Amino acid sequence: MDTGLTAAENRELETRMQKRQLKEFMSVIGNLVDTCFNSCINDFTSKALSGSETGCITRCVQKSMTTQARMAERFAEQNQAMAAEMQRKAQQ
Amino acid sequence: MSFFGLGRPQPTSAEKIAAVENELKMMADMHNRMTRVCSAKCVDKTYRESDLAKGEAVCLDRCSAKFFDVHAKIFDQIQKETTERMAAAGGSGGGFGM
Repeated sequence: MDTGLTAAENRELETRMQKRQLKEFMSVIGNLVDTCFNSCINDFTSKALSGSETGCITRCVQKSMTTQARMAERFAEQNQAMAAEMQRKAQQ
Repeated sequence: MSFFGLGRPQPTSAEKIAAVENELKMMADMHNRMTRVCSAKCVDKTYRESDLAKGEAVCLDRCSAKFFDVHAKIFDQIQKETTERMAAAGGSGGGFGM
């Protein structure tokens, strides 16, 4: 991606991006916990996780990660299409 | 996708880095929102399966396309409405005036 920055500026940007990615990762985990807990855990007659609850959590995580990966692909495609469209409009 | 060079004086180093960072942040934010919204609409919340069903996958694809379209439409409409409303207000009050 040509951002028009010098090498030093790019390094600074990369440092910031790494910090941001770490924050992002933590927030992904947080969202996953909230989502899967809300969907899977509804029985508080026991304090131990049941087998079905554990299975649900496992499937929830797997499905969420598959969904994220698919959404990332679609996002990249849509973004490219949008950028191309904007260029086309700008050249009119 | 850069919006520099619109006749302003040369941006400082900090400004340039901040601008790129902000743009990436906006993109990441949009990505997260799209994932959350489309998962809520398309994915079975009982999580009976660990794989995405074919119907869910197709729904996600269509949802992402619509999400981008809605984003663009709302963006255009807000710009248009803001311009029209400001023109109608004739400069009195200014701002969003809602």
